[in-house]
Amino acid sequence: MGVKQDDGSIMPTSEQEKISDELDIRVKKFLRGEKTNLEGLQDKKLKGQLAVREELFGKSAQAAAKAEKWLLPSEGGYLEAEGIEKTWRIKQESIACEVDILSARSQYDIVLPDLGPYTLDFTSSGRYMAAGGRKGHLAILDMKNMSLVKEIQVRETVRDVVFLHNELFFAAAQKKYPYIYNRDGTELHCLKEHGAVLRLQFLKNHFLLASINKSGQLRYQDVTMGGMVANYRTGLGRTDVMQVNPYNGVVALGHSLGTVSMWKPTSSAAILKRLCHKGPITAMAFHPNGHLMATAGKEKKIMLWDLRNLKDEPLQTLPGNADTLDFSQKGLLARSTSSFVQILRDSSGTQNYNNYMTHKIIKGYQVEKVLFRPYEDVLGIGHSMGWSSILIPGSGEPNFDSWVANPFETSKQRREREVHSLLDKLPPETIMLNPTKIGTVKPQRRKEKKTKEEKEADMEAAVEAVKGIEPKKKTKGRNKPSKRTKKKQEIVANAKRPFLEQQKKEEEQVARKKQKVIEQVELPTSLQRFSRKKSAT
Amino acid sequence: MAETKRKSRGEAKGKRGKPSKKQKKGNDTRERKGPRLPNALRKELERLNPVDEGFGSDEDQEEVYGRDLYEYEEELPEEESKKNRRYDPVENLEYQMPEEFEDENVSSDDDNDARNAGEDGVEDEEDDDGRQRTTRITGEAFEGKKKKKNNVVISEAYPESEYNPTRDMLEGEGPVSIGDLLDPLHGVSGYSKLRKRIHHLEKKSVPTPAPLPKADQEKLERKAAYEKSKEELQKWEPIIKRNREAPTIYFDDDMDLGFSTVGAIASEFEPRTEFEKKIASLVYDDQVMEAHQKDGSRLLELNKVSAEDEKDRHNRMAKMRSLLFRHEMKSKHIKKIKSKTYHRLLKKDRLKASSTQSQMDPEAAKELAMKQEYERAKERMTLRHKGSSKWTKRIKERGIDVQDEGTRTAIAEQQHLHALLTRKMNSMKDGSSSSSDDSSDEDDVDVYSVGSDQARASKLLEKAKEKTLNLLDEDDEVPNSGVLSLPFMVRGLKKRNEAAAEEAKLALQEYESWSNPLEHSNGADNAKVAPPSGRMVFNASKEAPESSNKTKSDNKIRSDNYYGNSDSEDDFEPKENVDIREDRSSDLQNNGGINPVLLHKDSKNHKDSLFKNFDDIVQDPGPKTTHEVSIFASGTWKKIKGGNNADANANKPTRPLESVVLNQNLQEPVKDLDEDSDADSEGQMVDGILTSDPKVESSYELPSQAEIIRQAFAADDVEDDFEKEKQEVLNEENPEPEKPVLLPGWGQWTHVQKKKGLPSWMLQEHESAKRMREETLKKRKDAHLKRVIISEKLDKKAEKLYTKSLPYPFTSKEVYEQSIRMPLGPEFNPATAVGALNRPEVMKKPGVIIKPIEFEEVNPYERIEEQTQSGKKQKKRNKSKSNSGKNGTKVKTKLKN
Repeated sequence: MGVKQDDGSIMPTSEQEKISDELDIRVKKFLRGEKTNLEGLQDKKLKGQLAVREELFGKSAQAAAKAEKWLLPSEGGYLEAEGIEKTWRIKQESIACEVDILSARSQYDIVLPDLGPYTLDFTSSGRYMAAGGRKGHLAILDMKNMSLVKEIQVRETVRDVVFLHNELFFAAAQKKYPYIYNRDGTELHCLKEHGAVLRLQFLKNHFLLASINKSGQLRYQDVTMGGMVANYRTGLGRTDVMQVNPYNGVVALGHSLGTVSMWKPTSSAAILKRLCHKGPITAMAFHPNGHLMATAGKEKKIMLWDLRNLKDEPLQTLPGNADTLDFSQKGLLARSTSSFVQILRDSSGTQNYNNYMTHKIIKGYQVEKVLFRPYEDVLGIGHSMGWSSILIPGSGEPNFDSWVANPFETSKQRREREVHSLLDKLPPETIMLNPTKIGTVKPQRRKEKKTKEEKEADMEAAVEAVKGIEPKKKTKGRNKPSKRTKKKQEIVANAKRPFLEQQKKEEEQVARKKQKVIEQVELPTSLQRFSRKKSAT
Repeated sequence: MAETKRKSRGEAKGKRGKPSKKQKKGNDTRERKGPRLPNALRKELERLNPVDEGFGSDEDQEEVYGRDLYEYEEELPEEESKKNRRYDPVENLEYQMPEEFEDENVSSDDDNDARNAGEDGVEDEEDDDGRQRTTRITGEAFEGKKKKKNNVVISEAYPESEYNPTRDMLEGEGPVSIGDLLDPLHGVSGYSKLRKRIHHLEKKSVPTPAPLPKADQEKLERKAAYEKSKEELQKWEPIIKRNREAPTIYFDDDMDLGFSTVGAIASEFEPRTEFEKKIASLVYDDQVMEAHQKDGSRLLELNKVSAEDEKDRHNRMAKMRSLLFRHEMKSKHIKKIKSKTYHRLLKKDRLKASSTQSQMDPEAAKELAMKQEYERAKERMTLRHKGSSKWTKRIKERGIDVQDEGTRTAIAEQQHLHALLTRKMNSMKDGSSSSSDDSSDEDDVDVYSVGSDQARASKLLEKAKEKTLNLLDEDDEVPNSGVLSLPFMVRGLKKRNEAAAEEAKLALQEYESWSNPLEHSNGADNAKVAPPSGRMVFNASKEAPESSNKTKSDNKIRSDNYYGNSDSEDDFEPKENVDIREDRSSDLQNNGGINPVLLHKDSKNHKDSLFKNFDDIVQDPGPKTTHEVSIFASGTWKKIKGGNNADANANKPTRPLESVVLNQNLQEPVKDLDEDSDADSEGQMVDGILTSDPKVESSYELPSQAEIIRQAFAADDVEDDFEKEKQEVLNEENPEPEKPVLLPGWGQWTHVQKKKGLPSWMLQEHESAKRMREETLKKRKDAHLKRVIISEKLDKKAEKLYTKSLPYPFTSKEVYEQSIRMPLGPEFNPATAVGALNRPEVMKKPGVIIKPIEFEEVNPYERIEEQTQSGKKQKKRNKSKSNSGKNGTKVKTKLKN
């Protein structure tokens, strides 16, 4: 650590306190929750073990906090207005005057008037961009060199483009089917099963390509093995509002009745439905930490929802339309209608979003998509006449983690990472609303198996019920006491039979299982002679 | 310890074996004798009237006592009868319990020691041989016996006999007291000490209490032993505690695993064999070593090679290399050589191919013919094979018969070739048409002349015609005899002939039809005979669908656009929809007429003009493809416009041009990276606004008031809908209980039922079911949320991600879940903590023998971690992932305006 905190001579005490406070906050973040409460524990050994664990956790969090505090190279900043200045009055030109050359380079407009409107997608590192013109123009661009990697014209409608796990592959939702292309523009796959797809989303950690088609069918396809993981009819009509929650991989769809439904590949019904707007939903976005959702409705409202603490009322309601919404890595929210782009910021840290910046492009241009570029303070705007890129200070994460996403990745690193990410691929069932629940104790099911006593009680009750029946009085020698007792016994046996059969079946099952286990755990031949011989059967 | 104990016990047993036999004997004899005096009295008696006969006397006495009690009297054993004194007389055969007798297993060592110390002095005097006292380990049991012996049994140095009478006999006195024994020692050094001790002993001699029962005694002993061992073991407690509480135990603390590096192994190497020694002598040569130590210059000197040597070496190398190279080349060449059979087969193949080709392909046939013709012409000119060569002449001079077989065949071959090549052309053709030789020759020339294809074809046709006519004319002669003359055969033949004739006629017609166009067409463009008439048609037909396709696709694109822009189909304004439909229909209608062609042309013109303009403007375009694409697309775009607006505005075509201009202007500043140019672009953008304004307005209409109202009210019942949906979901997941249904006549008479209404139990059941449902609904997560539905369906696939039950030491769910909240992997923890977090319980190196635990002083109150901290020198890897790769050229924009 660069500065010794304990040394009072180096740093004034106030500064020290400030730093320690800051560190405390960070430590709390890295501790990921409350410490285990050891008070009520009876088991001394466990208590000791847990205490040791907790101490280690604390140390780890401390070290991580310190590293984050002192070792990260750059810090994020924001536009700050002086006096009566307002941040949203600051124009892009004035920003361009102030920033360095490299940043100024990322302020540009590409005008391609003929094949627009354009939709955009960035790789997770922000190095590459895919642009898809509605009339069939697909392009991959290297944003670092500002060079075109490949450009193809598919000559049919392109509704969406999305990168797969790295820049080598991308999927495009075309007129009839979605297609997967590689970086060189070679068509690799035609995903005919998906049909005419309106929106595509890629789940990075699960390697799933999610799509919603014209008939409102949500499909998940595994891009590693190629299998169709799930195919569900939403039953809520056609929609082209689809967004994946980066925190847990849940796919959210916005519907025309103002509802947002959230889906996972292992459940045929929506795991959560919420009525957000009175009008149809036009756009949706998730905060990168997965706790915040922004939706825009046709009734000129934008709402922010807390996803952890579900409530009927939104956290905040903002006026205005939005055709497209996007959250930046640092939590700025961009919205856009027609040719107007607005960026909102949670300046107070209380999830109260205010106007931060605005930008107008030429009036005729219809904005199709706004998308923040990861790890850069750049907002990409895809519109009907090409795409533009503007600077939004404080939008991107200033420090990248090369283990997560590396904008300066070499091809070797990319290959390495590809293999690693494939090995770390998560199965589709890990998608759930609260992924921290994985590994915890299974929630109780409502229907439990009957216990032995209960079963016995049932059987007895049945027998009692049968015993109460008075036998008929028969004649002609059939009413002999011997016959009657025989009949009685028979009735009882009949009543018992189903229970006994059930029991027998269960026992058999158990025995079979046991046998299986025994078969599995066979001793090595050298040790078999020592095992006890089974009694001759 | 334990071992020695066991040993001693064993020894004791062994030693006890012998005396116990004796004792037994004694006991036996005693038993026979019945009741007897107590020991003390007997001793007294003995002292008072000593027995003369040494032994056997008191036995006799006892016999006397016991006569009247026991009838059976055992005979005295021979040795005891002392008839001839064959056996050594023993003075005192039976054992007497000594006064201070203690059990054999006397516990405490100190006691024994003390007693031993006390007795030692006595023993030294009394025991001449002292063989029992060889070791002190010989167990307490033995000691006890010995003591008794020492005190009571007075052993003699020599066996008792008439030559060696007992002391009693000699002195006529009672038993010898210690004082008697001490007397002779009077004056010897240490005497006073001894006496004091004896005094001491005598004073202390209190009658010892009767020993405790054996079981009790053992119990006491065990207790004492337990206390002792407990004390012993308790000192291990802190160590054990420490080890138990330690998160990890290390067994590889200070292990010397020997050499760890190759260098270390090498440094220990000693040359043993002769060869090794030789090498070592060279390597560790003083000169070399010295040179190494000083600097490299000496080494170079030592390494000197003469120029000649070097040259030699070089030459040698060069030679070797060239040899190698040549060899390589040769082998390459050899490798390339194909076998004779291969060539033969190849030739065969080629011949076959050429023959088939000539058959199949007229071109090839022509070529072949050309070749043959050339050969013949050459032969005719040179007469090479005529036999006029020097070689043939010489052979002929000598006479062919004289020649050997090979030569003869060669000559024959030559002649044959000559004949073949010089034969007249007619020989190659059909013999029938010999008259048309010249003409045919001319024909050939014609054939090969340019543009004579047609003539040839016509000729062929004519020939074919002729032949068919001939065939038709030709009358088949019907044979008069044989099978063929049979009537049905004749009939069949006729039929066949007729069919053939018909066919021939058809063929003739065909020839005619072929020959007609040939005649009509000019000689210049013969190759494309069929197409020309259809050409115009074909092109036209092609054009029409193309244009129609285009327009259609345009429409489709437009419609797609429309779908994409609208969120739901209902919301879209119907006006435009209708417009588009109309446009489409009109387009479709137009497709039938001439219009598409015009349209197509129109678009073409547009394109052209655009292209020209573009060319004028574009000086240095960036990526070429984009421009091309844009050009193409601009055309389509325009067409869409034209399609959409039925009254095709005149100003439409100008728009793309402007956009292109705009494009250029916008792209340039980006390249320049100039702030000024940015401003420029702004200006252009303004231009763009100005130019684009009217069009935008034309395409976008403000929704009417009614429209707005409709939209506003359209979603009014959204909440109700949602509520209904929620109810449905709830019903599906927790179905409502069925209403009790009255089955008339079941259980009771119907009229009774009617009066009473539903039975109470039914109602109760229903009520309880309802209550249950409500409770479960209340328990749902979304119970208090009106606008949220959370599915409670169980995800079976995800079940395997949960733990089935609490793992063993945990008793509360919360604690368990808290304890697993932190990830442990290297991706989530700093490198300094990962090791500690994931360290196994036991750390040991493979192959290291774990030594038994050793005692060490441990402060039981010290913290455990200190030990772990001090104990380990973990190699902390410094490559922290959070640090790596952070030196990128990252640009942050922090602005303060």
